[in-house]
Amino acid sequence: MSVDKSQASSEADRSSGQPLSPMMVRVRQVLGELILEHRCFRGDDRIHVARERILEVCQKLRDDVELAFDLLLDVTAIDYLGQPDDFERPREIWDQERPVLRRHPARRHELVLPPRGPHPRFAIVYHLTSTTRFHRLRIKCRVPEDDPTIASLTPVWPGANWLERETYDLYGIRFIGHPDLRRIYLNEEFVGHPLRKDYGKFDEQPIQPYVGPGAKEPRRPH
Amino acid sequence: MAVRIVKVKRPTQPWSSMRPWWAVVVGLWVSTRHFFVNLGRFLRGSQDFTVHFPEQRFVHPPALRGMPVLVQMENGKERCVACGLCEWACPTTCITIFPAETNNEVERYPEVFDIDMSRCMFCGYCEEACPEEAIVMSRQVEISSYSRQGSLWHKEDLLVPISQLKTRIDYLRSHYER
Amino acid sequence: MSDQELKNLVAPIDGANRRLHGFEGDLHTEPMRIQFGPSHPATHGTVRIVLDLDGERIVDADVQVGYLHRGFEKECETGLYYQNIPYTDRLNYSSPMLNNVGYCLAVEKLFDIQTPPRCQFLRVVGGEISRMVDHMLAIGSSAMELAAFTPMLYLLEGRELLLDLTDALCGARVTTNFTRIGGLCADMPEGFKEFAIPRLDRALKLVEDADKLLTENPIFRERMEGTGRLPAQDLIAWGVTGPILRAGGIPYDVRRVQPYLVYGDLDFDVPVGEHSDNFDRYLVRLEEIRQSRRLILQCLERMPDGPVDSDDPRVRWPAKRRVYTQMEELIDQFKLVTEGGYPPPGEIYQAVEAANGELGFYLVSDGSGRPWKCRCRSPSFSNISPMNLMLKGGQLADVVPTFGMINMIGGETDR
Repeated sequence: MSVDKSQASSEADRSSGQPLSPMMVRVRQVLGELILEHRCFRGDDRIHVARERILEVCQKLRDDVELAFDLLLDVTAIDYLGQPDDFERPREIWDQERPVLRRHPARRHELVLPPRGPHPRFAIVYHLTSTTRFHRLRIKCRVPEDDPTIASLTPVWPGANWLERETYDLYGIRFIGHPDLRRIYLNEEFVGHPLRKDYGKFDEQPIQPYVGPGAKEPRRPH
Repeated sequence: MAVRIVKVKRPTQPWSSMRPWWAVVVGLWVSTRHFFVNLGRFLRGSQDFTVHFPEQRFVHPPALRGMPVLVQMENGKERCVACGLCEWACPTTCITIFPAETNNEVERYPEVFDIDMSRCMFCGYCEEACPEEAIVMSRQVEISSYSRQGSLWHKEDLLVPISQLKTRIDYLRSHYER
Repeated sequence: MSDQELKNLVAPIDGANRRLHGFEGDLHTEPMRIQFGPSHPATHGTVRIVLDLDGERIVDADVQVGYLHRGFEKECETGLYYQNIPYTDRLNYSSPMLNNVGYCLAVEKLFDIQTPPRCQFLRVVGGEISRMVDHMLAIGSSAMELAAFTPMLYLLEGRELLLDLTDALCGARVTTNFTRIGGLCADMPEGFKEFAIPRLDRALKLVEDADKLLTENPIFRERMEGTGRLPAQDLIAWGVTGPILRAGGIPYDVRRVQPYLVYGDLDFDVPVGEHSDNFDRYLVRLEEIRQSRRLILQCLERMPDGPVDSDDPRVRWPAKRRVYTQMEELIDQFKLVTEGGYPPPGEIYQAVEAANGELGFYLVSDGSGRPWKCRCRSPSFSNISPMNLMLKGGQLADVVPTFGMINMIGGETDR
């Protein structure tokens, strides 16, 4: 996160080339320097913030009377394994770097791993909306691979509880301050995090012996 | 044009709380009416809901997507040229095709054409992708089998004469121009 | 502990009661833990609720989901954009068309495609039929769990009538695969309006019969009124949407606040409750069935002529007649089937109002034919997360109506 903040935001303004929505103007007033970057694609506003400041940002967005982002819709993560930021670059450069994979249908699920790049691997994405003002905002934080942690939003919205458990389960992002960070979909013995890009679709799990009540002695081979 | 917000009215002082027998009267009235209406339908022989399955069959609409089958032309050959487009389009990869060539008028044909019906989900993409009208969704929906091997359908099982697929092909041709 | 929980915990066992039961001193009790589910007849869906009971009163509840997890998002990352549409049928399997519409609207927003008006009207028709079916199933099954069997039979009869309509529209009753990117799987069949209107009327009559049997029924009201209560600000804080939030008095409906398709041009009411309990959730659902029927009738009345598919060459498969006869269209067909369309790189979020709340799809595109990430924001998942708050302090028998009115759909919660 060594991006010069003022420079990044002014570049984003020029690239979008359209006037800010009233909601975004207010978000800028409220957050100020906390916004690292602002992008707008197909009318969806999104801001990038540093992961250390996420709790502060959400608190301000929720408590501001004009914004009133009271409904946390979604928490999820994106795994940009070896990819640069956000894919929003001219198409030609992109095609040269990563040719479109043409694979036979029977082989199309094979794992093709790009090498790891210099950018932080994960992005945590929050979707907010307001039940009184009806505007929407997306917040993104980049999280590196070697320290996949971010502050939990449960103090601000208790509903983040399950959504963060799900993100922990499927991506292995650890939320600091979460009251009950367990796996939610998969069993506790599951090895790995299946929505990471380096987890193949047909990867198999080791068979775990059943240890609960009523467990039998393992059957001896003949 | 206009979206109104209305408050749902819950019966504040319902008849039933004053007179509990009222709910019994209403309940008996509604269910007795249904009983006689259904009895009348039964006596008239109307098949509104209960279809006595093996003897009577449900009348499906023309849009029905049953299991995918291969079209067999009048000369007994399949129409398929093994281009593999249905194999690509299939989201569950349940189709397997090995193409082969002959010296006939149509040179290519599928040597193997297998559909794993335990994976097929009747989405109809194979039919939409096919550039030869060679695989269509038939009206066949009774495809249970006693073994896993039985749900693997080979080319010989899948071939259906074109005369039996007239309903579906007519339906497809009705929106040729889309 | 919130005020609500404290209020719920006010013990009915006071001193007079204790004397009545023959003990004066402190009765030694310890909480009992029981497992509700995963395969309980009342958990229609597979979910486990671990309940800590003090007598019949619920001290704590731990809702455990995930028994139906099948990797929808992982599957979507390996499929082309059009290949993922059938998977969305399986998200909320009681209202599949709404999921189809939501996913296709998301992909169309990514591609920036406008669909023709006839397609939009037909999508509203399909979606509202699905919403009616979903609400009828929710009311019917929870009535059955409260031992009212007859209304369920009537509502399932109405559901059958409505499923005939989806059958006529797309050729399947549950696994619909109704929409395509930029269009529909088929145009409305001939005479659909004449086919649909009597069926809608008969279905509504059955709903009214169920209404007569349930709404004034003392037993049903005893079980529903005042149970599963959670104040509106808690519902918002927990991310609850849909009929449950509207029963709390918040008129948040995506069709109203951000009209998509043609909802902005149509007349409908958004029912809200005020007590935020199970009975209000039931009443809101009942009213939404009537509003959905109104919407369908308006759409059928105003159905415009014209094509149902957009002619955007990036996603629309060419017409079959030209595929059979012309080389260029044949090549086009091969390209579109094997590679799909290439959206521009970027990321979008599109929300629709599904039967249980806001269903959102968050797509991240890297410019290739497959989504880099396809996230489904499922309403049931957020709706069931505060269920332990709704249950705490209540009786064991309240689990069933609360669970029935949350209407958790396993396919959507677990994805």
